[in-house]
Formats: sequence, C-alpha cells, structure tokens
Amino acid sequence: MRTMLDVYGQYWRINVLTTLEYRSNFLIWFAFTFVYHGTAISALYVILRTFPSMNGWSFRDMAFLYGLWMVGHALNNTFFSAIGDIPEHIRDGEFDRFLVRPLDTLFAAITLPGQIFPDELILALVYFTAAVSYSHVQVDALFIVFVPLIAIGGAGIDLGISLMISTVAFWFIRVDALRWIVLQLEQEFTRYPLAIYSRGVRLLLAFVFPFAFMNYFPATYFLHKTENGLSLPPAVGLLTPLIGTAFVALAYGFWRLGLKRYQGVGH
Amino acid sequence: MNSARGARFRLEPYLEFAKKAISREATYRFDVFTSIGSFVVRVYLLRMVWTALYAHNAAPSDLPLHTIITYSTIALLMGLVLDIDQTRILHDKLHDGSIATDFMKPINVPLYFFSDGTGEVVFHAFLIVPALLLSLLFVHIDIPAPGVLAAFALSFLLGYFVGFCINFILNCIAFWTLEISGVQLILTWVTDLLGGGIIPLILFPLALQKAIFVLPFAAMFSTPLLIYVGHIPPSGYAAAFGLQISWLLLLAAGAWIIWRAGARRVIVQGG
Repeated sequence: MRTMLDVYGQYWRINVLTTLEYRSNFLIWFAFTFVYHGTAISALYVILRTFPSMNGWSFRDMAFLYGLWMVGHALNNTFFSAIGDIPEHIRDGEFDRFLVRPLDTLFAAITLPGQIFPDELILALVYFTAAVSYSHVQVDALFIVFVPLIAIGGAGIDLGISLMISTVAFWFIRVDALRWIVLQLEQEFTRYPLAIYSRGVRLLLAFVFPFAFMNYFPATYFLHKTENGLSLPPAVGLLTPLIGTAFVALAYGFWRLGLKRYQGVGH
Repeated sequence: MNSARGARFRLEPYLEFAKKAISREATYRFDVFTSIGSFVVRVYLLRMVWTALYAHNAAPSDLPLHTIITYSTIALLMGLVLDIDQTRILHDKLHDGSIATDFMKPINVPLYFFSDGTGEVVFHAFLIVPALLLSLLFVHIDIPAPGVLAAFALSFLLGYFVGFCINFILNCIAFWTLEISGVQLILTWVTDLLGGGIIPLILFPLALQKAIFVLPFAAMFSTPLLIYVGHIPPSGYAAAFGLQISWLLLLAAGAWIIWRAGARRVIVQGG
C-alpha cells in the first residue's frame, strides 16, 4: 500500500512536470475545456431565455443540474481518464507491459503519466460554486455532507462504465463505437431533465447507464422538484454514492474476469 | 513553388485526386457508422427537447414547433458535410514532411488539397440519404417550394466554400506551429453555436444578434437554414448572398496570402 501511494505521488509529479514543459499545449487544452463547457451552458441560456421553463425547470435549475454533472465527470476525467486508453494498449500489445509489473495491473494501467492536469476539475469546482449561489439551492448541513459524496459517487458511475467498456476490449478489440455512443448519451442527455425523454430512454439512463444518478436525481431532490420522470421517491437522489460504489465494484469484478481471459489466451 | 506555371492546365488529375479521396473515406466504415449513429441520437434528442419546450411555454409566433424541428434536423444534416475538416491532409503533410515532395509535383498544390477535400465531402454527402431516411422515423420535415430549395442549395454551397477557406487558413497555421487539433475542435463548437447550427440565431439576445449575423459562422449555417425555413424571404436573398460572397472573397484572399507566406517558409527550411 505504501509503495502504491509513493508510485501514485510520483505519477502526479511527472504529470505536473510534463504539463509545465508543454505550456502552450496546456493552454490550448484548457481553452478547449473552457469553450466546450462554455458553449454548452450558453446554448442552455439562449434556449431558456425564449422558453423559460423546461418541464418546470428554469435556467437557474439547469445551471445547477449541469454543475453537478460537471464535478463528477471532471473528477473521473482527472484521475481515471487513462482507463479509456486501455483498449488501445490491448490492441497494440503495450498492455502486456502492465501484466509483468510488480503492482496491480489496473493500477499500472491508470498511472501511465501524460499531460494530465486537474484543470477541468478546478474549472468544474469554480463553476459549481457559482451555480449553487445562482440557482438559490438551499445550502444546509445535508447539502454540504452529501454533495461531495454525490460528486464522488457520480465519478464512480463514470469510472465504472468506462472500465466496463474497456474490459469489453478483452473480447472485442474495437470498442470505440460503443464508448463513443455511451459518451454521447452522457454528455448530451444529462443536460436536460430526464422527464422530457420517452420512457425507454428514461429507464436506460436510470438503470442501465445510470447517468441520471450523477445529476438529475440529486438535483431533483435538492431543488425540491415534485416529479422525477419515473415516479420514484425524491430521496433516491441521495443514493448516488451507493450506486457509484456498487458500479465500481461490479466493473472491477468484470475487469478481473476479462483479465483472466486475456492471460488465458496466452499473449 | 508553382511548377505548374506555364504548363497547360489540366483538370483530370484533380478529378482523380477527388476520386481517390472518396475511396479512401469509404474504407473507414467505423467512422461512417458512428456519424450516422450519432446523427440519429441527436435527431431524437432535438425532438424531445423542442417538444418539451413548446409544450410548457408560449411559442414565438414566427417560429412554430414544426419549423424549429425542420430547422434543427436540416442543420444536423448540413453538419454531416460542414463539420468535416477538408484540408486536414495539409496539416498531416506538414507534420510528416511529405508536403515537400508535393511541391515538386507538376500540380497546383492548394487545388490538390481542394479536390482531395471535395472528394471527402462528396462521400459524406452520400451519407445524407440514409441519415435523412432514418431521421424521418422520428421527425417530420417541412419541404419548401422548389425556388426556395434552389436558393437554399446555392446558399449552402457558398457556406461550404466559406467553411473550406476557414479550415484552410487554420491548417496553414501548422506551417508555423505544429499542434492545432485543440484549436480546431474549439472552432467547430464555436461555429455550431454562433453559426446557428444548434439554435436559430434569431433566438439570441437582440444586441448579440447584430454582431453574430455578420460573422462568417452565420454564413455557413444560419443563412442557408433561414432561407430554407422562409425566415429570409425572397426579397432578402440578394443581401444574404451578398454577405456570404463578401465573406468568401475576403477569406479566400486571406487563405491565399497565408498560403504564400507558409509555402515560402517550407522552401526556406528545405533549402
């Protein structure tokens, strides 16, 4: 455990040093993150300027909804984005290097240094703080305790799904299309209240790819909305940490299964 | 730089370049599936979003639900063609240095990039047919009168050329700094938003509208789309085309200047 922490510390040291080395690249990618979220929020603003209510949600509500998703998503992007590269490593044979490392294979795969910097996470936290005050959501003890847990749980949902998709690569080499469609479901469908979708899509986003637990159900609870699209009790919004943990556990089990199979093939 | 100078201009090589680009694109089947898959998902999403918004609010009188759904679907179809970076090959060739040998060939190099890009676009334009058919499962699209359709087609073509010039200029920047993929993605999102590819520009705050409408992004998406849905009436066509053509001339001139400067640089480096 001590070694793992040391390695992890080194990993971040190299990330920061790499980022400092390629400063202009970093600035471009920061602008990229900023403009990506900026255009998404601007589009919401322009739409809700003309149409003030979306199934009872105002722009202020949706700004909070977006912020809650952004924090969980950025948390996963910052710490576990390397999971998305695993299929590529499997494809080009790089993956075998992780198998012979002394530490856990998954740990080795996610601590591959690169130009990783917590810029998106910082941006997400700044935006979220602004969105909380803008949306007039009631900040009480429950909120302060649960929001960090929900962000972590949300990151867990993101992480679990990302790990499962990467694990599928042990069986089917090309998983880009799958990852790509799920990412689109997440990025574009979490912007709006779940209730606007047809029933099949609501169930999909609540129980198959539970992105609704990243932001919609918790936001429904904190903003005291009366309906959540599936007639569930409002308190389901507080289940996010549980769902996130379960999802990571499930994904890790699936990963172990895939790993066993990979070794079995005898690469 | 221009070895073709003096020789008789022949069109055939450029048609071959375009054909080669078409068959190259056709080999990336994965990209074809994802772009159509993504398209269908987006059409579903736009229908749900606009339907929900119109159900709970008073609709703007000049923009009924069927009009905005038509607008957004056509915008997505246009995006299949307009969101392509037709001159990525320039950037790639600058990266691996193969541009140097292109300069030695008896061809006009920018025209070569143009025919290669056009071939790529023609291939993606074919995707419009299956994409349109699939989208009709989710949405109903208004079809305007033939005259309006013709004006839309002309405006779309002008918008395509404007987009080509913008991409070309951006890829020319790679003559100086080699990494531009981040900048390109940023520009795609800005084009989608400020060009009216996501939301009609007439819904933007009035003060902003004045500025946005004269930007080149509006010439790519908004002008053809507003012609299609009839928001720009036939009496406004002359002004709309005029603005598009002005942008096209200006950007083409800019592209030419930056290309000359960049090409000279390659020769200086190459000795």
